[in-house]
Amino acid sequence: MQDKITRILKAIADPTRREIFHALILASTALPITQISNQFDISRQGITKHLKTLEKAGLVQISSKGRERFCYADPVPLQEVNKWLKFYEKFWDDAIGNLDSYLGHNT
Amino acid sequence: MKDVIIKEHVFKHPIDMVWNAISKDEEISNWFIKADFKAEVGYYYSFKSEGENCTEINGVVKKANPYTLIYTWVVQNTNIETVVKWELKETAEGTALYLEHSGISNYSGDTAVQMFTSFNGGWDNCVSELTKYLSKEVHAG
Repeated sequence: MQDKITRILKAIADPTRREIFHALILASTALPITQISNQFDISRQGITKHLKTLEKAGLVQISSKGRERFCYADPVPLQEVNKWLKFYEKFWDDAIGNLDSYLGHNT
Repeated sequence: MKDVIIKEHVFKHPIDMVWNAISKDEEISNWFIKADFKAEVGYYYSFKSEGENCTEINGVVKKANPYTLIYTWVVQNTNIETVVKWELKETAEGTALYLEHSGISNYSGDTAVQMFTSFNGGWDNCVSELTKYLSKEVHAG
């Protein structure tokens, strides 16, 4: 089973998917797939595939309205990755700071 | 976004002094976390702070040639392995450290939450024992 963070990291590892996600974030409203694919130089099929990957990661919500499907960006799952990175960022900053004082103290 | 944390720092101290500080357990215990550690490939080490709510870290030393130290990093009650790499280089100013912690995306969402809870608050005390020790020394003197 692929876990949540891995799915998120995989979804945002691809530059095109990041661009699609970014375009949806900027739109800050649900966009029809047709409109999204018009903005990119990729087939509608390709766009749909990228959107599915983003949807699996929880970064995009897709809903149908009549014949058109609408996509909406949800940045919340990114917080989970961010929380992790932030925790260890601080952890190592503190550790290196401590190491520096320790070395200074011993001189 | 990547799942690797990289830290770089220049110490104004000779390379062997920094190497000893990161590879000898009596020194690691002073500035980092109370350690049972040997800079020998295959050694199963443990970092266990005496503070309250400090989760134990275990792992295996993968490389320990001056001046590269690599060990796996497994947090107690999880079976997820991340990797910590320390690299030292002699420079005109002293010693340049390159620290890399990779594999953080190996943590599943649930494990992440569980670990955050166990690290919560307590870990600040676990890592900053030295700061307290140093300020005590200063006040005593």
